[in-house]
Amino acid sequence: MASEPMSVGSSAQDPPPVPDATSQEPKHGGHTRFELELEFVQALGNPEYVNYLASRKFLHNPAFVAYLDYLQYWTRPPFLQYITYPTSCLKMLELLQVERFRKDILSPNLTQALIMDGMKAAVEWHREG
Amino acid sequence: MDKKLDASFERVEKALAVLIDSMTKFTPSEKAANDVVKAERDLFLGLEELEVHQRNVVRIKQLKQETEALDAQTKQTISALWEMRKELVAVAPTKFAPAKEEKYPFTTQQLLEYARRISRNTLPPPGVTNGVDLSTATPTTPDDQAGGGPDASFAASVGGGSGQGTAASTPAPGVQDSFVSQAPFQSQTGATELPVHLKPAVNPLENAPFFTFPTIDRIRSGALAQYQDLVNRGIDPKNYDPEEEERRLKQEEQDRKDAEERARQEREEQDRRMREERERMARERELARQQQQQEGGMDRRGSVLAPGQGGGQPSRSAPKQFTFLDEDDDDEDED
Repeated sequence: MASEPMSVGSSAQDPPPVPDATSQEPKHGGHTRFELELEFVQALGNPEYVNYLASRKFLHNPAFVAYLDYLQYWTRPPFLQYITYPTSCLKMLELLQVERFRKDILSPNLTQALIMDGMKAAVEWHREG
Repeated sequence: MDKKLDASFERVEKALAVLIDSMTKFTPSEKAANDVVKAERDLFLGLEELEVHQRNVVRIKQLKQETEALDAQTKQTISALWEMRKELVAVAPTKFAPAKEEKYPFTTQQLLEYARRISRNTLPPPGVTNGVDLSTATPTTPDDQAGGGPDASFAASVGGGSGQGTAASTPAPGVQDSFVSQAPFQSQTGATELPVHLKPAVNPLENAPFFTFPTIDRIRSGALAQYQDLVNRGIDPKNYDPEEEERRLKQEEQDRKDAEERARQEREEQDRRMREERERMARERELARQQQQQEGGMDRRGSVLAPGQGGGQPSRSAPKQFTFLDEDDDDEDED
């Protein structure tokens, strides 16, 4: 699969190739597109970060919303196995597809509530299990 | 059936008539009486048969009704099936995003490796409670933890304003409960365990938060932050690798040093050659001068001394001078 340069104008519909020993991916600041997108999609699991993005009006940008939609390839194999924060990251990616949520996450109260509930769920899920 | 019964009746009547007739003539006939009894028995048999017949008729009617009901049910079922089939056909099939949905088989080993990889981000370390009271049996409701901070109003609105309990007050009963519940246990097991109220003091993870997402600090020190840093410094990150760049700079530095070293060595070599050249020329000049002096001296001596004496002395003194010069020359070569 040919790698695409990472810019809004390019056809970023194809996910980056899964890295292997022989891949010669062009690097952006020392990291491949795969690495950068993996890090970004996992960073989205942090409600504070999403709140920060919302405060910078990224979530109102149609190009960015399209990018969020494109990032859903992380919910499918073979990319899924590379996500090390699956619980919060995948849920947040799902929520970010909803316009209402993209507006609501601007609220610090919702951000804080998400953090607290996530922390509690992590403990309670383990206890129930 | 009717004919059979009619025949029986007729036979009974006839036999009876014969009997009555015989009796009216005062000549009762035993045979006639037996005929009547026999005919009557036949009639009873016929009546029993009729009963059976009628029961069968009723049963047949019931069966017919049952058949009709079942027929109706079958029809209903078939029509329901048909309706269902129609509905099923009418339902639009779900279209998955990738048309050619590939299966990704994985082994148990891979699954376990993935579980091990993610467990540090999904499973809190032992002792980390995130403020959840683990001593209660049932999970707490979301508004139980709604104490303090900016989420108080949110939780209050979610919980209908009833959840005003503070987080500070929630864990306190929990600690007491666990102390009370574990006290007998402790006395049974002996003194190998610390008292419960001291356990938090030796647990480094006490009150440590556990997040299921990367923290802001981690995000700030990640690849995206480096990318942003490059952009801020005015460097186009595309095809820019800091490690490669560093290697390149180091290589350039090394090349520069090597070039300087080579230039220095060349300069020294040149200096050495020039010095040797100068020394050689000086020696040659000296030699020439001495030769001139020697020739001049011989001329002078030749003019002063007698020819017989003058030929022997210079031949003895000349090697001394040459020997001295030779030694000097050897020293130079050794250098």
